[in-house]
Amino acid sequence: MVNHTEPPLSSLRMFKISDLQGQEASLKGLKRRSRIILGFLFFVSLAGVLQIVKLTVIDQENYATESEKNRIIRVPVYPSRGLIGLAKSNRLLVENIVAQQLTINFKSTADIDSTIVDIQKTIGIPEEVVRTFYKVLSSNPRNMNIILMDDLTEEQVAKYLVNKERWPSSDLEAYLKRYVIDNSLFSHVLGYTGAVSRQEREDDEEYRYSINSRLGKSGIEKTYENELRGKVGYRTVEVDVHGKEVRELEKVLPTKAKNIFLSLDQELQELARKGLKGRKGAVVAIDPNNGLVKVLVSSPDYNPNIFNETAEGDLRSLNSDTNAPFFNRAISGNYPPASTLKPFLGLLGLESGIINWNTKIEDEGFFQIQEEGRKYRGWKEEGHGTVDLNKAIIESSDVYFYELASKTTVDQIHSFLKLFGFGQKTGIDLTGEDEGLLPSRNWKLGRTGDSWFVGDTINLGIGQGYITTTPLQLAVAVSVLATKGRAYKPNIVEKVDETFIEPELLYQVEIKQERNWKKLEESMISVIRSWNGTAHNIYNPEDFLIAGKTGTAQIKSMTEENLTVQEEYENVRKDIKKRDHALFVGYGPIPNPNLTVVVIVENGESGSAVAAPIAKSIIDKYQKLQESDV
Amino acid sequence: MSKKALDYNLNRPFSSSGVSLSFIFKDNILVFSVLTVLVFGLFMLYSASGQSESMVIRQSVYVGLGFMGMLFIAQINPNSYQNILMNLYWIGLIMLIYVLIFPDDSHITRRWIDLGLFSFQPSEVIRLILPLSVAAFLTRKELKPKYSDWLISLVAVLLVSFLIFQQPDLGTSLIVFTSGFLPIFLTGFPLFIIILALSLMGILSPVIYAGLSMYQQQRIITLFDPNADPLGTGWNIAQSKTAIGSGGFFGKGYLSGTQSQLDFIPESHSDFIFAVIAEELGLIGISLLFLAYSVIIYRIFFIAFRSETIFGRLASASIGFVFLIFILINVSMVVGIIPVVGVPLPLVSQGGTSLATHLLAFGFVLSVKRKSGW
Repeated sequence: MVNHTEPPLSSLRMFKISDLQGQEASLKGLKRRSRIILGFLFFVSLAGVLQIVKLTVIDQENYATESEKNRIIRVPVYPSRGLIGLAKSNRLLVENIVAQQLTINFKSTADIDSTIVDIQKTIGIPEEVVRTFYKVLSSNPRNMNIILMDDLTEEQVAKYLVNKERWPSSDLEAYLKRYVIDNSLFSHVLGYTGAVSRQEREDDEEYRYSINSRLGKSGIEKTYENELRGKVGYRTVEVDVHGKEVRELEKVLPTKAKNIFLSLDQELQELARKGLKGRKGAVVAIDPNNGLVKVLVSSPDYNPNIFNETAEGDLRSLNSDTNAPFFNRAISGNYPPASTLKPFLGLLGLESGIINWNTKIEDEGFFQIQEEGRKYRGWKEEGHGTVDLNKAIIESSDVYFYELASKTTVDQIHSFLKLFGFGQKTGIDLTGEDEGLLPSRNWKLGRTGDSWFVGDTINLGIGQGYITTTPLQLAVAVSVLATKGRAYKPNIVEKVDETFIEPELLYQVEIKQERNWKKLEESMISVIRSWNGTAHNIYNPEDFLIAGKTGTAQIKSMTEENLTVQEEYENVRKDIKKRDHALFVGYGPIPNPNLTVVVIVENGESGSAVAAPIAKSIIDKYQKLQESDV
Repeated sequence: MSKKALDYNLNRPFSSSGVSLSFIFKDNILVFSVLTVLVFGLFMLYSASGQSESMVIRQSVYVGLGFMGMLFIAQINPNSYQNILMNLYWIGLIMLIYVLIFPDDSHITRRWIDLGLFSFQPSEVIRLILPLSVAAFLTRKELKPKYSDWLISLVAVLLVSFLIFQQPDLGTSLIVFTSGFLPIFLTGFPLFIIILALSLMGILSPVIYAGLSMYQQQRIITLFDPNADPLGTGWNIAQSKTAIGSGGFFGKGYLSGTQSQLDFIPESHSDFIFAVIAEELGLIGISLLFLAYSVIIYRIFFIAFRSETIFGRLASASIGFVFLIFILINVSMVVGIIPVVGVPLPLVSQGGTSLATHLLAFGFVLSVKRKSGW
């Protein structure tokens, strides 16, 4: 045998001499080396064989138990979503309706594509739906039922059932859909539900949502999500090799979801909606004595069922609508309060001693800080003549309030209006509330880099300039006038199941002379009752007495001195979007008011002609409803 | 001489006519045992893939093509392409460099080449081509290799292993080195050098471990303590062991393995298909599979040791060892005694590349028998 470890040169030469001899030698070497490897591999495979015997024979029972455990799974049981109704009439507003959805559990489908194509062809599924399915599929872990399509038609269900043997990984599941009975009437209040997002599922520590769950995305559906959702139960089940349930081991029932009852009034809501006639705007009515919201309408509105996927509709076109139908103007819209702010500023004047009820000025149609200075013009070209506070409110004299404002400071106005809730959220139980804007020196400096000018204060005097409020905020502020000092947190929900929500006192406004509340109310009554009042057009001596104030919010300031205000406005109003907003705030009936109403009609031009009649009709109707109840 | 007669008898039933099956097959025992494992593999793949017909159909196409390729190669005189085989090394080298420079975005590590119609891992091809290539080089003069031949071969093998290590794929890198080193060892490479190198490695192993990437270190840690990372890599091994153990002696029955069907076994259709076999067919099923594998390996060595040429002998024996080593690595990995490396179970796991290369290699072994002329 040749010594392979140290091949002598002679042996190499030997191969050349006799090829056959070399071949024989190399075969022997190969066999010897092969035996070394085989011997080594034998010991390696011995380890493997021993391990296999250990697993399958010695530890078999342990592993069998272990694998049985893998067949036990916990299935959540979701309670059906709570209903939403009206507290007073017990009328149902939102219900759950049963629909069928097709789900795919793709862990058992390696050929997912062919299955999907087959299902798609057989029962007819739009390409877009399939694309969405794949998107969800790719962004989620395996082993989950993922919706291929929901809301199957009866025909689709039938076609599926006939062919379902072909698609073992698919399943038909009944689920509940949210249906808003009155479509758009309560849209901004109720809000809508939507598919749970990835983020929401990550934040969901109690595992209340499955990948296919829907939850409240806005409005009551969102703010009362916890109550409407209920508490999830679960079942522990054993599954077979196909993942199908074999038997149930344990069941914990879900806690029933709560039903929500709103304080809103169906008929008033309809009346307000009709009054706005589809124009952009908002109507808010609250009971000043407890904050319960009776009307909350934002126009234009939308059908929440489109989001709930219980009605057909094109969300994209709604979304791109420049009238912003999804925008809840009643709680998020920022409007200059305009002349509706005058009663509050009058009260400030009285409180700070700058004026009393006898203080008179000459209104010649404009106000100047000094001779030759800028002219601040009133809405009435020729002026209102000799004016005291009472007349200034009744006739809405701008010049009176310019002069009053010029004698105060922005700091005074800021801190006084703050008492009435301006510039702050009311805390209503809805999503998306805005706080409006109550300007101050620091705010302006921070925002524009400019310091506060006297001219800014003068503009503030007639509720114009930087100040904006939301209709709801205005309603709460006016309610303070109605209750002579008290403000309650506005609430849409009156009771949860059978538990009434307690009224919550937000704040109390105390003034030095209590009688000023009464006198101010007298002036606001005269706005309607007095022949020269700006809202005299809605006066009817046979109806309940109402206190109110009109407002006309300018969008574009009138600065061209060579034209009269009227002439200049004629040019401006050619662009509908630049027309004034019409406002009316009021409450009634006097002496025991039970409803505060705020009406804003965007580009409605006239507070008295457009906004006031809507408010009056609501207050009147409410009284009739109250009477019929008794 | 008696062995010859026995072989003749075994072949007889298939050689009734003039141009017989055994004329094409060259070795009926090898071909039919390979076929048995292939068909068995398709059935197991159906179960392991969650009863995916399309996956089984695709695999069947690979099986059919590979089988035909095997028979085709069996008809060619291996000496006529010894040079080509030797130079396949360069193609392999180019492919490896290609994947390092142009990584396929769809995979985390740089292992794949996408040819549009199909994509494959060059490293999977190389671990079968390399031993053939080295064998062809070492036996090109029909002589015992010189030290310089061994040195050149060793450098070539180390270069390829290093490139795969850069992908990064430590497991495959070691496997490729082992398969490339096989023919070197078989031609009588001095044992003392090997012992020296191994002891050096033992001393240096702490340093080498420190130089490994986190992912490779994790894999080694997992081997020693699978519970350290129950939902990561260790979870896979734990579930695989649970599947094998719960299968017991008789198994849970075809298509009835809960671990397999409920998707607890990772990569159940490819690298971990052995766990599916064990769970559903039990120790009996595994034993039968091992028996079929043993026949294949026995037949390969039977042919190898009777080959006329040194090249045929060396290359066939290398193929036999590579096949055996792959089985051992895959099974050891699935039963949890070595770290998880990407080695499919030969002839059974899903995947065209591995299947085709094994079958073509068997074709080579068959062609060696033709040359022997018995």
